[in-house]
Amino acid sequence: MSPANPESLRAASAAEAPAVHSGETIVVIDDDRAIRLSCEKILTKAGYRVECFETGAAGLEAVAKLKPALALVDLKMPGISGMDVISRLREIDPNILTVVITGYATIDTAVEAMKAGAYDFVPKPFSPDELRLIVKRGLDHRRLMLESQQAEMERELLKRRFITFVSHQLQTPLVAIHQYLDVLRHLENPDPAKLREWLDRCLARTEEIQAIIKDWLTISKLEGGLLAQQRVKVDLTEVITEILKTYEVMAASESVTLENQMPPDGCYVIGDRNCLSVLFDNLVTNAIKYNKPGGKVTVSAERTPDEVIVSVADTGIGIPEKYRQMLFGEFFRIQDVKKTPGTGLGLAIAKRVATEMGGSISVESQVNVGSTFRVRLLAWKEPVSETTQGRTNNGLKAQNTDR
Amino acid sequence: MSVPAKVLVIDDDADLRAAVRSMLESKGYAVAEAESGKEGLRKVAEEKPDLILLDVMMECDSEGYGVTYAIKHRADYEPYRGIPVIMMSAIQESPDELFAMSPESEMIRPDRYLTKPVNMDLLLEVVEKALAERLPRSVANQ
Repeated sequence: MSPANPESLRAASAAEAPAVHSGETIVVIDDDRAIRLSCEKILTKAGYRVECFETGAAGLEAVAKLKPALALVDLKMPGISGMDVISRLREIDPNILTVVITGYATIDTAVEAMKAGAYDFVPKPFSPDELRLIVKRGLDHRRLMLESQQAEMERELLKRRFITFVSHQLQTPLVAIHQYLDVLRHLENPDPAKLREWLDRCLARTEEIQAIIKDWLTISKLEGGLLAQQRVKVDLTEVITEILKTYEVMAASESVTLENQMPPDGCYVIGDRNCLSVLFDNLVTNAIKYNKPGGKVTVSAERTPDEVIVSVADTGIGIPEKYRQMLFGEFFRIQDVKKTPGTGLGLAIAKRVATEMGGSISVESQVNVGSTFRVRLLAWKEPVSETTQGRTNNGLKAQNTDR
Repeated sequence: MSVPAKVLVIDDDADLRAAVRSMLESKGYAVAEAESGKEGLRKVAEEKPDLILLDVMMECDSEGYGVTYAIKHRADYEPYRGIPVIMMSAIQESPDELFAMSPESEMIRPDRYLTKPVNMDLLLEVVEKALAERLPRSVANQ
């Protein structure tokens, strides 16, 4: 190998590169040929792709094409100084990590280099282990940095998409109301029946906005852990009976029968009563809305010592397979049935509540036959009292005194 | 106008269609409605409207753009090439931003772009103007 110029060095290092390397390129910029050679030897052996340059100018020129992960830069070079190389590197690509090679590693020069954007420094002379360690540390840091950048970007994107969705959902009913009012202002003698109908529609659309805001707040409270704080004994038979009573009229108007098969002696779980009520409210209203005339909604429960599984089954239109994955996502609504009123948040809320309560939710469905939503929740177990506990060390387990 | 000009309103929101229909009818236009891009394209052939008022319909994969594309470029919609398309959308981006994104987006550029909620005075003005500009071509066609 005759590394007289960067060109031949590059060719040589490419030829000698091990079959398997980390895929990360390291650029060495140092006027000292011995340093270049040893860096190349040590780092190539460690599995990196290494490119060496004698001057800052040559190194900087090549960087754009090489896209290195890390640059080892000598501080004291003829031509462009190491300090300038560091700041120029940062301008070209802020994700290139620079490590300074310095023969006079005083605190001052190191600090100055760090200020210019260097991540670390290697004092000369260095051992192969030292160099490898510092390079590895730098690359690990860079990987973490890139990962968190990526995560941040994804979060931003998600947030923006979410905001777009919410705005669109709110804007749609607002636009309808606005257009009605604007047209009413223009019509000279609006037909009283039509006027009445439009006002009713405007009211219905404001209710839609309110429902969206309410659901949206529920979601955000759930997210912040503000809503599902209670962990008490909740009787689901009572909760569900109440819900079914509330929707009797709505179901009748859609010619849907509600069937309460909850155990009459109670069905106890641990959770937050209000949240569980919201969960089943959403499932029951969905089961009514997406049903067929003459259809049925059946709510039933299975009890095991550890969990309670509540099923809300409908005889409705069903959910095509391709939608089932997305069903519990925010603002998901099946396009074919978009005319059914709703905020697109109900199932997202249901899922959050179930998860928050240590349970889960799943769905089984057959198109045109119906869907069954199953909610698994933790069964309530009577706390074992002090005195009982004293007597249970003979291996007796806490009883499920469930009633 | 002896035979009233016919406007096809394509929007997935029934309330919006109802409001716009009343407005246009009160000014003597005939109105046809469609609630999706697909139905809209069918109605174009059936109703042969003089003008199309089109929602972007973001929720349904922006199928409004498909309507514009068909009217402006699709071979089977050649007979309807001259129909002015006025797009309405609540999307906040300006139309220039929206349509300057790529050369392809030029293919779906409507004749006019209005932001929802649409001011009815502006809507009437735009519809009238678009119809007036279109007339010579339609006469030539006959």
